[in-house]
Amino acid sequence: MPEPKRPLLDPAVLAKLDSLKLRVRAITEGVLTGLHKSPHHGQSVEFAEHKEYAPGDEIRHIDWKAYGKFDKYYVKQFEQETNLRAYLVVDASGSMGYRADPGRLTKLEYASALAASLAYLLVRQQDAAGLVLVQDRVAASVPPRATANHLAPILDALEGAKAGGTTRLSAAVDWIIEHAQRRSSVLVFSDLFDPEERILKKLAQLGRRKHEVTLFHVLDPAELEFPFDDPTLFLSMEDDRQVEAHGRDVRKGYLEVLHRWLDEVRRTAAEADVDYALCRTDRPLDEVLLPFLARRERSAA
Amino acid sequence: MSFVHPALLWGLLAAGIPLAVHLFFRRRPRPTPFPAIEFVLRARRETQRRLRLKKVLLFTARTLLLGAVAFAIARPQAQRGGGAAAAVARGPRATAVVLDASGSMRYRLGGRPLFDRARQDALRALAELAPEEPATAVVCGMDPVQVEPPSFDRAAVRRVLESAQATAGYGDLTACVTAAVRALAAARAQDGLPKRLVVATDLAASAWRLDVPAPAVDGPKGPVRPEVTILDAARGADLPNHAVVGLDAEPDPAAGPRGYRFTALLSNHAKEPLADVPLSLVVGTGPSARTAIRAFAEVPANGTSRKTLLHAFPQGGPAAVKVALPQDALADDDARALAIVVPREIRALVVDGAPSPVKYRDEAYFVESALASPASPVRPRLVDAEAFPQEDLSKVDVVLLLNVRSVGARAAELARFVEGGGGLFVAVGDQVDPELYGRELGELLPMSLHVEKSAAGPDAAGGPRAARFAEVDFEHPALSIFQGDAREGLLGVRTSRYLLAKPRPGGGGARVLARFDDGAPALVEARRGRGRVLLFTSTADHDWTDWPIRTSFLPAMQRFAGFLAGALEERREPPAPVGARRTIRLDDGEALVALVDPGGRELGRAELERSGLAEPSAGLVEWTPREPGLWQVKVRSRGEERVEPRLAFAVTPEPRESDTRRLAPAELTAWFGGEGHARVEGGGRAVAGGREVPLWSVLLALGVAAFFLEGLLLA
Repeated sequence: MPEPKRPLLDPAVLAKLDSLKLRVRAITEGVLTGLHKSPHHGQSVEFAEHKEYAPGDEIRHIDWKAYGKFDKYYVKQFEQETNLRAYLVVDASGSMGYRADPGRLTKLEYASALAASLAYLLVRQQDAAGLVLVQDRVAASVPPRATANHLAPILDALEGAKAGGTTRLSAAVDWIIEHAQRRSSVLVFSDLFDPEERILKKLAQLGRRKHEVTLFHVLDPAELEFPFDDPTLFLSMEDDRQVEAHGRDVRKGYLEVLHRWLDEVRRTAAEADVDYALCRTDRPLDEVLLPFLARRERSAA
Repeated sequence: MSFVHPALLWGLLAAGIPLAVHLFFRRRPRPTPFPAIEFVLRARRETQRRLRLKKVLLFTARTLLLGAVAFAIARPQAQRGGGAAAAVARGPRATAVVLDASGSMRYRLGGRPLFDRARQDALRALAELAPEEPATAVVCGMDPVQVEPPSFDRAAVRRVLESAQATAGYGDLTACVTAAVRALAAARAQDGLPKRLVVATDLAASAWRLDVPAPAVDGPKGPVRPEVTILDAARGADLPNHAVVGLDAEPDPAAGPRGYRFTALLSNHAKEPLADVPLSLVVGTGPSARTAIRAFAEVPANGTSRKTLLHAFPQGGPAAVKVALPQDALADDDARALAIVVPREIRALVVDGAPSPVKYRDEAYFVESALASPASPVRPRLVDAEAFPQEDLSKVDVVLLLNVRSVGARAAELARFVEGGGGLFVAVGDQVDPELYGRELGELLPMSLHVEKSAAGPDAAGGPRAARFAEVDFEHPALSIFQGDAREGLLGVRTSRYLLAKPRPGGGGARVLARFDDGAPALVEARRGRGRVLLFTSTADHDWTDWPIRTSFLPAMQRFAGFLAGALEERREPPAPVGARRTIRLDDGEALVALVDPGGRELGRAELERSGLAEPSAGLVEWTPREPGLWQVKVRSRGEERVEPRLAFAVTPEPRESDTRRLAPAELTAWFGGEGHARVEGGGRAVAGGREVPLWSVLLALGVAAFFLEGLLLA
């Protein structure tokens, strides 16, 4: 019996988000008028100041009234509001297909729901949202657009994503560096089970290119608590590795290793100016989105 | 190290349970896809050594827990060492090891016969001897004691002890100890060595005779008492025992035809009385055995009681019965068997030569009344002399001619009847013509009849002169029942008239069972062919004699009928105690094939001959049964092998061995000369302290420690 398709856009979650405005920091440039302040002076709908004309300035921006008063050429400058250009990077590797409890979402489903919710909010306020599905390479991509009907291909791509293959987030980083000409917000949804150990350093490259990086670290509760008590043959979901262990025997060691790794991830993310949020797939999505959006709004203010 | 309950050492197999669980019941790991396998691998790498150590400790703790508990249940005891070193310190001694192999040593204590413990004790005592100490061994069972002088051939002594078996018979430890001391003294080359006795026994009081002087060795300064070490195989424990120590069977008319009264003597050698203990009477052997009576008995503490059981057999012939109590630790004496012959029904034809309508004047009245009395095996049928020719003799066992004038044409047939195995009783009277009898019956009669004689003159009491029986052959089977006062009933018979009988030339095979006091034959018996003839030279009514009205007449007539029918020879020899020589009498044409012991095991001829079977003459076999119970005899006759019920015999357990009451150690050491000469080892009440250190408490503590260690590891 086929499993019913999960609603990627949970109305309850979206209703809570309706009062919030997604603001990115001032360094993000855009073309659409919005709530986000542009770092560039130029075409604008709101006058900012005059400047003396210099060769190269747009002649059509010369203030002829000022010329009549002061007999000098002044050019009008505007503080232009622009939209956000966001890349939603969703890890669709094999490990993201895991769920310990059949009643819960897989990590990929959870990440897709998060990404779709954010895409909806972005598009609704005229921001551009794009999608990058990554496995061992970029499996699919949707360029950022701010039109309402652009949401459909993003949702289609997310719903059609199948977990498989190994994780190589660096492929997504390289893809964004290549395709994002302007400053963008990069939202990464991944479990970070990447054989490439320095993947966070790689994400930090985006920061150095003025992209704003947010990492949604999606993990299943079983990965965080290791609730296995019996002899278990653990099978890797991305390669052929397998290990037989008694859950009770290795739990303590596993949790120690896991917490060391989480601490390392948090520390590295902070050093690379990467926003970090740990997402348990048994928690409601709004518990992840609301703090994230609130934090964004505060930083934008 | 020794064990109080060595049979429980099987429990040590439980120590293998953790290993078996690990090998055979290991849970198969459930395959589970898991993304963070890298962390599992790292965790496993980091904790592998610790986990392996923990598993080893856990496995060891569990194995130790089970093993220690199982080991402790078997009650191990460590032997205090240093025996050989002590021997060096005190100097060499000549040692005799006496091993009690009597019936009471078959007592099972803790599931193990006392004899096994005693033998183990004896072997250990032997092993503790220094090489320069000569030794000998005495096995004290029901067999005659054979003692070799002490020697340095330790292996030979060990073989004697190892090959010894507990017998079912009586062992006289006083005699065995005396023989052992005599053997110690007999080795003149060892005169300078002190003498030592080691006695491994159960301390049963019945095995000792403490009213005789204790054995001593003659020394230059007078008798010297040997040093005695008593090794208590019972380890100080009491040995309660109940037994069937006697069983008698007597015909009892109250039980009906072929009824018997069985009287069992029960003993209880325990401090507690036996109340409502089940007692059963089993009839038959092998698969056909059935419990005929279930009863209950009560036996006082350290006392005896009798229980009577009545049973009527459905038919005559050989029969085996067994009276049994519930099995206890000494099983040999819990049942007692008996082989009896239930009298067969004897068909007698009584020919009345002088019938009378007045009963007491009828010639056959007294005979018929005697034969037809209750509980009599004889079934008489009365005919008068005129009807006798029409009778079919093939349907009777015995013919009684009472004052019959003539048998006429049936004389030849009567002779064939006797030749073929029939019995003929002839009583005379006024109808009998001696000459006619001589012509008709001829050689059939034991003696030829002569003339009638009257006892003349008054007797000593002033009454009419009467002849009395004299020279009665009380050894004869027909008269052997008259013992003691019962003989008066026969010797007091007064006979006024009788016929003189004249011996035939050469005797004619006649045997005079009784004579009148004038020497004239009164009862004469002879064998004719396979049959027998008995002649009474007076009347069977009270015309010529008062015997019919005397108390001896009834049993005598029944015995005569049984004798003439050949039924008296079917008597069984009384049961003999175990170890007594037994004679088995085979019929012509029978050959012994095997004996079947009480347990149902067949002992073939070759095995029997190895164990002392002898055949002193044809048809006679002698053998010594060594186990109590009912033995059956398998014979070959006419090419066919069969178990012959007629030859079955019962062997009774030795009643003295049923008495398992123990001597007080102090009493025994006092008999041997006091604690300076003797000591008892091996019991909680040992006079000189045991040398065995119990280990079970240590093992239990070890098990508890293992239990807590396991809990700690699991936590």
